[in-house]
Amino acid sequence: MPGKRSPARLIVALSVAAVLAVFLLYTSIAGGGTPSLIPSQAAGHAGRISVGGMVVGKPTGDAHAGGLHFRLRDPKGSATIPVVYTGSVPDLFRTGREVVVDGKLRSGVLVAVPDTLVTKCPSKYTPKT
Amino acid sequence: MPDLGRAALVTSFLLLSYATVAGAFAAWHGRRRLAESAQNALVAAFAATVVATVVLLVALAQHDFSFTYVANHTSRELPLGYTLTAFWGGQEGSLLLWLLVLCGYSVAAVLTARRAGREVLSWVVPTLGLVGTFFALLLVFVASPFATQVAPADGAGLNPSLQNPYMAIHPPMLYLGYVGLTVPFAFAMGALLARRTDERWIVATRRWTLAAWAFLGVGQLLGAHWAYVEIGWGGYYAWDPVENAALMPWLAATAFLHSVMIQEKRGMLKVWNVLLVTLAFCLSLFGTFLTRSGIIQSIHSFTQSSIGPWFLGFICLITAGSLALIFLRLPLLRSKTRLESLVSREATFLYNNLLLVALALTILWGVVYPLLSEAVTGEAATVGKPYYNFFLHSFGLPLLLLMGIGPLVAWRRASLRALGRTFLWPLAAAVAAGIALLAAGAGSSRIGVIAYTFSVFVLASIVLEFVRGTSARKGLGDVGWPGAFSSLVARNRRRYGGYVVHAAVVLLAIGIAGSSAYQTVREGRLRPGDSMTVAGNRLVFRGFQTSTESNHRAIRANIDVYRGGEYIGRLRPGKNQYFAEGQVSNEVAIRHSVLTGGDLFLIADQVNADGSLDLKALDKPLVNLIWLAGLVFIGGSLITLWPDAREQRRLAERYEGAAVQA
Repeated sequence: MPGKRSPARLIVALSVAAVLAVFLLYTSIAGGGTPSLIPSQAAGHAGRISVGGMVVGKPTGDAHAGGLHFRLRDPKGSATIPVVYTGSVPDLFRTGREVVVDGKLRSGVLVAVPDTLVTKCPSKYTPKT
Repeated sequence: MPDLGRAALVTSFLLLSYATVAGAFAAWHGRRRLAESAQNALVAAFAATVVATVVLLVALAQHDFSFTYVANHTSRELPLGYTLTAFWGGQEGSLLLWLLVLCGYSVAAVLTARRAGREVLSWVVPTLGLVGTFFALLLVFVASPFATQVAPADGAGLNPSLQNPYMAIHPPMLYLGYVGLTVPFAFAMGALLARRTDERWIVATRRWTLAAWAFLGVGQLLGAHWAYVEIGWGGYYAWDPVENAALMPWLAATAFLHSVMIQEKRGMLKVWNVLLVTLAFCLSLFGTFLTRSGIIQSIHSFTQSSIGPWFLGFICLITAGSLALIFLRLPLLRSKTRLESLVSREATFLYNNLLLVALALTILWGVVYPLLSEAVTGEAATVGKPYYNFFLHSFGLPLLLLMGIGPLVAWRRASLRALGRTFLWPLAAAVAAGIALLAAGAGSSRIGVIAYTFSVFVLASIVLEFVRGTSARKGLGDVGWPGAFSSLVARNRRRYGGYVVHAAVVLLAIGIAGSSAYQTVREGRLRPGDSMTVAGNRLVFRGFQTSTESNHRAIRANIDVYRGGEYIGRLRPGKNQYFAEGQVSNEVAIRHSVLTGGDLFLIADQVNADGSLDLKALDKPLVNLIWLAGLVFIGGSLITLWPDAREQRRLAERYEGAAVQA
């Protein structure tokens, strides 16, 4: 043991270094997070994005065959984006609900990653203001 | 009625403010009478809060819709049980619950924890008072549960997925945990303010910390179980910000429970302990803030409310205040002893602490990442499950391994030879288990094999400890094995209760690894008569059945399950359509296997107009060990919490001596 330094400091220093190393390793492999956007911001993103907005119009198609088609609108705005979704559809999904879905843009259409559709809890908890 | 509630809250607010100001003044100037008066104010504030609580409960029970809160969270058709539990269904009610639990804890802790010493206690009262004042302030001025309106004919009702016994009990459990962490925090601050930085505040609050930690753990498992049986996506934890909000303070409190043992035994890590308890408390405030402010997108975001900035301000105040205090008292917090060896009980506890804190902080980083990235790049970005899973594996698996090593390593300095002897059998068991698992084809998931191997190692070392202890005790007198065993546990409740909790964590790890790393998922569209196979179970769809209940229409798919050609039962997943709320809820069907601990989990994903069904079937091996772990966890916690007359006597002797010297 060199000097009179307490080994506790050595442990702490080494552990901090190890944690940082693991962290850097992760961020270098996986990169940052998924950008979470509203429909009007989605254009121009090539990678995976997460889009949150309100379902407008009547959803058509079949989420288990060919895909469910619907449009998402900015929660406070008018810009919309078309979405094609496959996979499980949450019980609370319907026109007028706020939902979040992950996917990639293919010529202006958000092609969703299967099973990523989530609805935000409907506000039975709070009064509509 | 509402006036009585409002008056009770204002009274509570004034009393708590008095307890804070007068208590601090009394502690500063050493005024004994004034300190007692501040303490009495705390007790009176509890009484006032109870009155407010009763008013709200009566209003709920009477369906008094002139209370805005009652109208927004209940309806006439709601059963009485869920009507009363709507008390914590909304923001104002849950803040009131916070205050009630806080005042209750405060009174109980101040009255029972006299051992901490009078100087410390006189500072604990204003610290608790300050936290209480904050919540009372919110309830009086910002989010009053007693707001009134012209009574509508009926209330808005309660979300059907929340009409579930688990949902009724899960929030108060979490609150008992969150709020309970205030007690050790207040005693730590009290000890610092009173310059009594020995371990007495830790001894005096040990049970409170343990209880809060146990409630937090049980509360999370209840939430996970509710999600599993009710939400119907086949999982139990989704790394959602609100779930993480409860996990982070639990991890910090777990680290604290371990590191205080080092301070008790060896007088080390004093700074670390006060930092940890501050971290745990701030994370519990942050958790309440996350749940209630809607600042971070979450499927749980109940409310987008005005209390966010208040909470943020209070968290900043608490963090800055306690860090400044710790800094001022640094000279008093020097350790008398130091770590002697890297292979010792102290050192393994230190590794465990660093891993737990690292895990909590990486989760915190993930939770606030959207805010940080928005501040830096102008675009919010979220980190997903892969991020959290990566760090759970990187830090959680070493933690699991340490759980088997730590308790068996000697204090101060362990010799490698002794270690070899101690670990021979657990190591052999682990290696054998690893080989058997690989031979059985479990190698499909490397993480799974590692987790199982570590689990076997830990379980073997725990069993070995119990066997060694029991046989040593049996050697002392002529008692049988059961007698020796029970007297062993009764005489060392903390130690063996701790081992039981460790066993619970191992069960949890096995359950999580089994149900995530080795689960099988099959999806398919079935017409009546069609079948599909998942993990050796053949599922045959026999058509739909519809029935009309009092408040919903129930559609069920009849699925016959065959295993090896033999009929083993019918499962009926489906959907309920509620008339009043106009909502659909998924009703999953689960078949538990007692023999293997696994579940066959069926979700009627989509009911099609042409009579076909989109079925999702999951085979989740060992998932029931997670719920079993919850029961074992409660058992272990109870063992460590159980009053111990012998320990009390020993402590009394120890501190009477110290009091005479001082």
